[in-house]
Amino acid sequence: MKKGMIKATGSFERVVHWCLALSCLHLCVTGMGMMYHSLNFIGSMVGGMGNLKMLHNFGGIFFGVSLFFAIIMWWKEAGLFSFPEDVAWLKAAGGYLWDVDQVPEVGKYNPGQKMFFLAVALFGMIMVVSGLVMWFPLSYSPQLVRTMYVLHALGYVVIFGFFFVHLYLVTIGAPGSAPAMFTGWVTKGWVKKQHPKWLKEMEKEGTLVVSGKDQPPVRK
Amino acid sequence: MTNHYIDLKNSDCILIMGSNAAENHPIAFKWILRAKERGAKIIHVDPRFSRTSARCDYHVPLRSGTDIAFLGGMIKHIIDNNLIQEEYVQYYTNASQIVSPGFSFEDGLFSGYNSEKHSYNKETWTTVKDEKGIPLRDYTLQDPRCVYQMLKKHYERYTLDKVSSITGVPKETLLRVYNDYGATGAKDKAGTECYALGWTHHTVGSQNIRTMSIIQLLLGNMGVCGGGINALRGEPNVQGSTDHAILYNILPGYLKMPSGPVDTLAKYIEKYTSKSTDPQSANWYQNYPKYAVSFLKAMWGDKATPENEFGYSWLPKIDDGKAYSIMHTTDVMYAGKMKGFFAYGSNIAVSSPNTTKVRKGLQKLKWMVNVNIFDNETSSFWKGPGVDPKSVDTEVFLLPAAASMEKEGSQSNSGRWVQWRYKAANPPGDALSDGDITMRILDAVRELYQKEGGAYPEQVLNLKWDYKDAFGRFNVHKVAKLINGHYIKDVTIEDAAAGTKEVNKKGETVPSFAKLMADGSTNCGNWLMSGSFDQKGENKMQKRGKEDPTGLGLYPDWCFAWPLNRRIIYNRASCDLEGKPYNPKMKLLEWTGDKWVGDVPDGPWPPMANKEKGKYPFIMKADGVGALFGPGMVEGPFPEHYEPLEGPLAKNPMSGQLINPAVKLFKSDLDKVANADQKFPYVCTTYSATEHWCSGFTRWQPWLLEAMPEAYVEISEKLAAQLGLKNGERVKVSSVRGEVTGVAMVTKRMTPFEVEGKIVHQVGMPCNYGWFNPVENKDDSVNLLTSAVGCPNTFCPEYKAFMVNVSKA
Amino acid sequence: MKQELIKLIDLSLCTACRGCQVACKQWNELPAKRTKNFGSYQNPPDLQWNTWTLIRFQEYVDQRGTLKWLFRKDGCMHCTDASCIKVCPTKALYHTEFGSVSLDVDKCIGCKECIPACPFGVPKYNKETNKILKCDLCYTRLQANQPPACVLSCPTGALQIGDKDAMLKKAYKRVKELGGDANVYGDKFVGGTHVVYVLPENPQVYDNLPENPQVPLSIIIWKDILKPAGLLVAGTVVAGAFLHYITHGPKTPDDETSDDETTCEGGKEL
Repeated sequence: MKKGMIKATGSFERVVHWCLALSCLHLCVTGMGMMYHSLNFIGSMVGGMGNLKMLHNFGGIFFGVSLFFAIIMWWKEAGLFSFPEDVAWLKAAGGYLWDVDQVPEVGKYNPGQKMFFLAVALFGMIMVVSGLVMWFPLSYSPQLVRTMYVLHALGYVVIFGFFFVHLYLVTIGAPGSAPAMFTGWVTKGWVKKQHPKWLKEMEKEGTLVVSGKDQPPVRK
Repeated sequence: MTNHYIDLKNSDCILIMGSNAAENHPIAFKWILRAKERGAKIIHVDPRFSRTSARCDYHVPLRSGTDIAFLGGMIKHIIDNNLIQEEYVQYYTNASQIVSPGFSFEDGLFSGYNSEKHSYNKETWTTVKDEKGIPLRDYTLQDPRCVYQMLKKHYERYTLDKVSSITGVPKETLLRVYNDYGATGAKDKAGTECYALGWTHHTVGSQNIRTMSIIQLLLGNMGVCGGGINALRGEPNVQGSTDHAILYNILPGYLKMPSGPVDTLAKYIEKYTSKSTDPQSANWYQNYPKYAVSFLKAMWGDKATPENEFGYSWLPKIDDGKAYSIMHTTDVMYAGKMKGFFAYGSNIAVSSPNTTKVRKGLQKLKWMVNVNIFDNETSSFWKGPGVDPKSVDTEVFLLPAAASMEKEGSQSNSGRWVQWRYKAANPPGDALSDGDITMRILDAVRELYQKEGGAYPEQVLNLKWDYKDAFGRFNVHKVAKLINGHYIKDVTIEDAAAGTKEVNKKGETVPSFAKLMADGSTNCGNWLMSGSFDQKGENKMQKRGKEDPTGLGLYPDWCFAWPLNRRIIYNRASCDLEGKPYNPKMKLLEWTGDKWVGDVPDGPWPPMANKEKGKYPFIMKADGVGALFGPGMVEGPFPEHYEPLEGPLAKNPMSGQLINPAVKLFKSDLDKVANADQKFPYVCTTYSATEHWCSGFTRWQPWLLEAMPEAYVEISEKLAAQLGLKNGERVKVSSVRGEVTGVAMVTKRMTPFEVEGKIVHQVGMPCNYGWFNPVENKDDSVNLLTSAVGCPNTFCPEYKAFMVNVSKA
Repeated sequence: MKQELIKLIDLSLCTACRGCQVACKQWNELPAKRTKNFGSYQNPPDLQWNTWTLIRFQEYVDQRGTLKWLFRKDGCMHCTDASCIKVCPTKALYHTEFGSVSLDVDKCIGCKECIPACPFGVPKYNKETNKILKCDLCYTRLQANQPPACVLSCPTGALQIGDKDAMLKKAYKRVKELGGDANVYGDKFVGGTHVVYVLPENPQVYDNLPENPQVPLSIIIWKDILKPAGLLVAGTVVAGAFLHYITHGPKTPDDETSDDETTCEGGKEL
């Protein structure tokens, strides 16, 4: 490994992330296979629409469990806004949309990521709950089930939308981000660019892990 | 039915009383609805608001067993308000005849009553005749002893107050029905009545129908389109089986059953051949000898000769004055005086009254044969509730029979339409048609007689039952042809005056009962059916022509209707004295000067205005007219209200005679009665549900069982509140004879009655359930409650009115 | 469309003989279930997977105090705007050439989405087979130019089937004849149903009969708004991202060696 890389994520974190991400992707694909008749062929690929529904339903359980761990894990870091810097960051849109003289410095997760996390957490839970109701519709009143249909579809719209934002940013939108979730190591320049405050915090707390150096114990 | 099902659509007012037409005749009910669409008033008078009531203009609840009071009030109303069809009453009924001076009626009893024998000497129940034997008549209907005035006097007591107090029907409602129905007395209006077991299942069953006949005659509704008295017979081919003598007191074609004292054919013919000296009376039953002899020829074939009185002596004879109904049969059985019993297609352990007695009676038999399509409560009586199989010695044979759709044959509907029905499927397993079963039994018995001899061998060995085909199977076509009748020798009929000569060859089928002969040249199993084949042997019962030349729905080319394809009987009464139809909009029949045009007329003679050749319209009556005064009934020529054997009243509000005076009660220890008893305060009635068949073999049919799974008790909301019963909970219903359970159906459709100033509650139960199946049901036959008493004319049991108590199960 | 048919149910002629209920089971080979009498002539108590049509019995006292016993043949209404078809993920439910709503049982995956969607409560689920079942107006019989089993069995003429316009005309004529509260039910909502009632009483009088049935708003939001919106939003995001990339450019880290902590991204404002 190249020296001087900074450790951004732990392996557990990355496992949870990918469980969540892949199950979400799976649910999107299987769900859309059922929502859009033109995508019914997806069902054929797994041996029929009934199988597709089963994959979707049980995938949903996997997603729910992953979401549970993700929320526990990320709640403190990504679920709470810190003031006033997050507000300032938001005012500048993190420098993504227009030129900003100086992007306000934020911690490990910027408010954009926090919003993404909150959206995933909120709508993910909605998806799990509404999905469960839809799985067993005869146990609930038709009105409730119909409401769940709307929520499930709404959650799909939001999550599916955010998915592409996320995809763009981690690939070409903000190059250098992806390794955080693959190897866990990012370049210092990237950290400096994206999360300068976090870097400073780690340096201050002495939790910074840099490859090729003796380090204090890895943070959990 | 005097008319037929389709003809119901031609009516202007249909009184459904004693019937639950929509539920028990659902197909036929369509024609009632067609009449309603035409603007006819449909009235349902019934203790219970049923599916029929739901489709009628209005429903009138009346206490079970008070129909004669209700209709008696109508007779009074019709006479008092002169709603009668005057010409019709004058000339087509016996209204004008003078009642014999000895005839009287006092306090519920007619003259000639013997209180020990519970029967009448009918000597005085006659009308006065002149020296030629022709009835004296006062066409002004003013003579105080004329039938019309006597009728008026008899029903004077049936005031609105009285009728209302007996029946529990409010006076305004009575008037509404009386006026609506009375309006059909107009010449161009027709009213009809539909009844079924709701009228016959009473100790006054026959008189219920008689009362309505009087009304129909007064209003000129007999013999017309949309009129008549219409018995809605059941799916089990009730019409056909009655025509073919399922009852003990008749031979096929309603010929009389010989009795002991009538021991020769000459005596038999003398006794039952109708006589009239009135030249204008067609007196059709003067032909009785032809029908009787042709029947004997059908029974014994070549063995029947003039020398041996055509085998008359071989016919079984009933004891004079004795009855042999199922109630009498089971009474003998219970007394232990019967060895063996055939329950042919019947389930008497469910369907017969006072079933406890029936079931105990079965245990005293040596053997019993049940011919049925399923095992049932009768064939399994030996393992029934409370029976220890070890204690039963009866040997039971269950012979599997073909169901109605598993065999070919004729089926007669209520409108006397005899329709050929084809086999839809083969019977399962070893099941055979009734014909095959009977033939096999006869073969075995004959073989035993030939080998071992036995009592009365002639009738067994001489019986001409050549009904088998080349393969030894029962051939129903051969039977049908014999029922129609054949020429059994060449017969040439020459009419010198008309110059015609008709040659009939031996073996040809007789085309009409008018051709039957008393000298043994023809045979005929049932004269009414003669004409169901044409002379070339074509089966008219198979005809399916859909032409309707009159536009009245007669469909003359659809099957065969007895008699002689006549669709409406007494149809000559639909025309005035000159033969012009009373209702020109419905020309059932019209005299064109030389012949009748329309339906097959009730005889070819001109209308009665022609004094030389003309005939009265009611050709089956000796005096040629409809009987307002009807001495044929055992309990009196005018129907009178009597209370049911078990009712809520200790005294008949009409007279000192509480129940039908001609009723005889059985005397066994199980024939208990509880009239006006505080322990059994509620009137109960029974009926069949649409979803089930009679004694319930449809309980084997999962779809029908799903729709009507278990016995129920219909109870008014008021009575339920009084007893603390909730809808759907199980209840126990008990009479002095037994108890059964069912689900309480608390309903607005049952209402209490105000009778003689007191509130009388009525409940109702279906008769289709029994202990045998489904096993998880705890219900048993409702006839454990009913009493073995019936109409003394027909011995139809009183299933429709008895007293019970109701409590939580 | 071949010929749009309507099954007309004239309740003023229904005698509740339940011939239709049994004929339906016979033709469609639907098994019976053991039932209990619950104090009513009605049984089974409701539509079931094995009971596609059912006569409902209802005692009703009208405003004048007259007792009426109302019978209603319940079953699929065969809507034009059929919610069940809208929600069915597999096209198991579909419109036939007669306008009726049929079911391709092989395609049904037992998702049960149609059950809450139906405003009339018609589709029913069979646990054993994991399929929903409902009346298909005897589609195979219609194809063979035969009336549905229920219509064939009806003794009184309360059930008829025929050309849409002719049946509607008949219905309105009958309502006129009947007068009073009689009304035609079915032609004015959900795009018109292919089962139309002549009701002798106002619709609100009848049990289990929605007065003004609609495709549920939730179903409209789901299928007509959110379903396309999902693609629209995703498409917009993708397009926006692309636009962002080509206009604003990616947010790349500064040269690792640089100490400048406040470098801005290059590019222009969006």
